[in-house]
Amino acid sequence: MPRPANAVDFWRGFALITIFIDHVPGLFYAHYTLINFSIADAADLFVFLAGWSLRLMADGGGRSMPTRDVMLRLFGRALELYAAQVLITMLAIAMLALTAIELANPLLLQWHNAAAVFDDPVPTHIGLAVLTHQLGYFDVLPLYVVLMLMAPFFALIDRTAQAFVLPASLALYICVLAFRLTLPTWPVSGTWFFNPLAWQILFVLGFTLARADYGAGAFVRRHIVALRVLALPVVIVGVLVPLFGWWPDPTKVPEPKLFFIIDKTYVTPIRLIQFLSLIAVASLAFRYIRWAAEAPYLRYAIAPLVGMFAMLGRNSLYVFCIGSLLSLSGQIVRFTYRGSVTVDTAVVISGIVIMAFTAWLAESRQRTRPASPAQSA
Amino acid sequence: MARRIATTHPTRFTGAIGVALLSALILCGPARAQSAQPSPLSKTCQGGAPALGAQSPLPNVAAALAQRKRLRILAMGAAPGHVTARGGGYTELIEAMLENALKGTDVIMINRGVSGELAAAAAVRMKNEVALGEPDLVLWQVGTNDALAYVAAADFASVVKDQIDWLKRHKVDVVLVGLQFAPQMLRDAHYIEIRDTLRRITAQENVIVIRFFEAMQIVEHASREGALPVADEFERSEAGYDCLAQYVARAITLGVFAKSMPRPAPPAK
Repeated sequence: MPRPANAVDFWRGFALITIFIDHVPGLFYAHYTLINFSIADAADLFVFLAGWSLRLMADGGGRSMPTRDVMLRLFGRALELYAAQVLITMLAIAMLALTAIELANPLLLQWHNAAAVFDDPVPTHIGLAVLTHQLGYFDVLPLYVVLMLMAPFFALIDRTAQAFVLPASLALYICVLAFRLTLPTWPVSGTWFFNPLAWQILFVLGFTLARADYGAGAFVRRHIVALRVLALPVVIVGVLVPLFGWWPDPTKVPEPKLFFIIDKTYVTPIRLIQFLSLIAVASLAFRYIRWAAEAPYLRYAIAPLVGMFAMLGRNSLYVFCIGSLLSLSGQIVRFTYRGSVTVDTAVVISGIVIMAFTAWLAESRQRTRPASPAQSA
Repeated sequence: MARRIATTHPTRFTGAIGVALLSALILCGPARAQSAQPSPLSKTCQGGAPALGAQSPLPNVAAALAQRKRLRILAMGAAPGHVTARGGGYTELIEAMLENALKGTDVIMINRGVSGELAAAAAVRMKNEVALGEPDLVLWQVGTNDALAYVAAADFASVVKDQIDWLKRHKVDVVLVGLQFAPQMLRDAHYIEIRDTLRRITAQENVIVIRFFEAMQIVEHASREGALPVADEFERSEAGYDCLAQYVARAITLGVFAKSMPRPAPPAK
């Protein structure tokens, strides 16, 4: 039986749907997602919750698990993510090629960094295999792969010297900001849109805050009310900045600039603080959402939605992969049928239905299997 | 659609263009700048040559070259697909061409293209990249993604205009690279509208726009007429990027050194 709806699964489902919508540029509904009302967006939430789930995996899902087994399990998970990235990338390339042939329009072969695949496949296939060549909007999973490759090291520190997990991550983050360390792309020169060396801080924050009885996680739980009071003004400012375009001029900030500008690639401190403030405040919300899901009359509308979001969250890898391909399909559909509110509505509804069906299928498959340890993350 | 087994080696076509181009750009070098009459572009690429205003639209680039002999170029927008023999895309080609043309100048190309990104998102990111990279010039490939995503032309115009103004206020020059070309897009009214909007803005703002659409259209036409040994879509695309690199390098050198250069000579018969 799948676990009942909880806050982590619910918000992860929310992040997956939001990412799906955000990854169809120009979509009417993309004007109403988190990114329009917050400095941080669904990608931050997705990575933070991935770190939260890492806690469950690293702790052995409530069972005592030897360190060696935990390392192997985490490394295996990284391989699984890598395989998923390779698969969806190849499918995306095939979708672009098929559309270009069907519409007899070679411009589509140039879309989303795909031109190098078709034009110069020899070096580009190496780049695809080693994740240094990423299609547009297929760059979240490579980040997750690298984070998961780093996960065994953080889990090892957590088991041997748990007080050093967050400081180690913070030290790396500070070095990355100070020296602008990043990963290069190849063969098309550039840098990763999501810098894993910086984004690991969110991942590790999720990992450490998920632990209720020790360190930062315990501190936050003890002082959550005060933290929410402090966080609220930050959240409000975070809403006003994108809403009114109040982005501070990055050329006017002191050196080292990455400590003071708002940047997604390096998930810079202002963005990080706004995100943490947002989750401090929003962590209250699920209590009311669950209440609404059980309230008379309201429950008929709310309970199925909560159940669906949580189901998406429980099967996040499958749903993320399908969601990425659906985003690309949505772009192709919008291009073919000229984007309009009607087309956009059809894209969003059909996308969410297919994502939900994928999650349902994954759980149905699990139900027909003999009992095995519950998969998380 | 025929598919080429791609090679990482330059084609004969590219090589021929490269020789013609380098000779053209060398004539535009600092030593002969004021009196230089640039060689014509290769026959294939002539029709899409960038329009230049009467005054140099790249004052900050000129100042950088005069003071530091170093030119920092930030490349933004859709990451181009064509990969050169050394790896990297058309930006590396431009870097090499400029270093050859501007002897003794260290050209630093900062490639921060993100494929699929709309102009509005690129504009926000570009400000950070300008702060971090401190470029003298931004090379912005803009319009294609917005056109394909059916962004309203008025919204697109507002974003691009605001961004050009922001760059001017921060003493950074800009060269825009226009929309990509496919014959089918000639029938797409919105695509053409975005292209024309971009043209209008650049005329109003007196910035250089590289007419990539026209360049590739010319390559396509020449290929169809049998004037070029170009076999398929991919080679046409590659030829288009070669022209693009020529135009950018030429626009920068002319924009810096020639205050009222004449339009390129008509194609040699």
